[in-house]
Amino acid sequence: MSQKRRLTAVDILLLLGAILPIVAIIVLQILTKPASEGISLSGAYIYFTVDMPLQPLYITEAQINSWAVIITVTCLCLFLTRGMKVDKPSARQHLAEWIVEKTEGLVKDNMDPFFSNYGPFICAILGLSAFSSLLSLFGLFPPTSDLNVVGGWAVLVFILITYYKFKCGPWGYAKSFAQPVALLTPINIISEVATPISMAFRHYGNVLSGTVISVLVASGLGGLSAIVLGWLPGVLGDIPFLRIGIPAILSIYFDVFSGCLQAFIFAMLTMMYVSGAFPAEDYAARRAKIEAKKQNKLGGN
Amino acid sequence: MQSLDIISVNIWSVLISLANLLILFLVIKKFLYKPVKETLEKRQAEIDKQYEAAKKAEESANANKAEWDSRMQTAQETADAMIKDAADAAKRRGETILDDAQSRADGIVRQAQAQAELERRNAEEGIRREIVDISTALAGKILEREVKADDHRVLIDSFLENIGDAND
Repeated sequence: MSQKRRLTAVDILLLLGAILPIVAIIVLQILTKPASEGISLSGAYIYFTVDMPLQPLYITEAQINSWAVIITVTCLCLFLTRGMKVDKPSARQHLAEWIVEKTEGLVKDNMDPFFSNYGPFICAILGLSAFSSLLSLFGLFPPTSDLNVVGGWAVLVFILITYYKFKCGPWGYAKSFAQPVALLTPINIISEVATPISMAFRHYGNVLSGTVISVLVASGLGGLSAIVLGWLPGVLGDIPFLRIGIPAILSIYFDVFSGCLQAFIFAMLTMMYVSGAFPAEDYAARRAKIEAKKQNKLGGN
Repeated sequence: MQSLDIISVNIWSVLISLANLLILFLVIKKFLYKPVKETLEKRQAEIDKQYEAAKKAEESANANKAEWDSRMQTAQETADAMIKDAADAAKRRGETILDDAQSRADGIVRQAQAQAELERRNAEEGIRREIVDISTALAGKILEREVKADDHRVLIDSFLENIGDAND
């Protein structure tokens, strides 16, 4: 009995650990960020700047919010996997198993069997991207609408793509640009560089466009409200009634649906690009050749 | 303090975000995937174990069934043989009883016939004697004198012989 109560206390602590970072960044935003007036679009608010070589390091809303998301997701993971049992799993264990099985299935469906251990990475992309975009539900700055954040993820994907292309050696990597004809080499190089840029801009642009449209609609509805309902006496005339409700419906699309969809698209593209970059057949042939050489050497000795 | 431009590239921000994704990857791998996978593996092992046990039980049940089938078969055969033996024995016994009865009945009949013959003979003898006595008496009456049986024995005997022959 006492053990059960202690477990529950830990669970509550973990749930608090998941919720508190979000509350903290909301409070931080309210305390520090000046209220914007009218239609104004700007990037992430800079909390403070650290002098670094090349460029100054800005600690912005995007960074702080990302870290809050990471802490939240970590606490949720710990909460979901607490007290796992082999038989009679609880609801949260079912959820944890569902997440793992779904992401594993996604990886299995879209990637070469060589990448069977990519489940956690895809899960991390999905989680970080979706939770970051969903922060806009709380009126927070979604880190995914900062180009640098999605840019970092795209750079990581680019590094992975290049790493798997190098699996067949530097010569194999260089040769892959002359496929299918040598004439296409410049275009192949451009498309190679374009991959991370397009990934970053696609995600960033979609989330930002949602914010832009939300701001436009909100201010437009404010203006409309002033024109249509401005004749009401006193304070009533100043309240933008039309802003109530309609932006929420748009928010369901732009914040919830679009955020989750973009997370899914980013994860899908990552799987496609990384799996596509890996020349499975060439790699198998190369491995076979190396093995044969080794065998010959052993036989010769 | 101010905001970043809406499109701005900052190397350090990019690197921090890259590191963030890597950190979250490690977190999810260690805190979500590892325990869940371990549990799933354990469950799979348990299921495999149960399947194996069930298979073993089924096999032993099948073996038992075959054994019991063969036993039933032999029992059936034994029962059939026993019934057949019993029937045969009963039939044989019935036959002997019948034969016995037949022979005994024959004996009785024969005895009865012999008895009847004897009776008949005795009766015949009696009648003959009567006839002798009567005829002797008659003859005495007729001749008015006593016929001495001993004297006329030869005559009487020949007479009686004729009567006996007529009777036969």
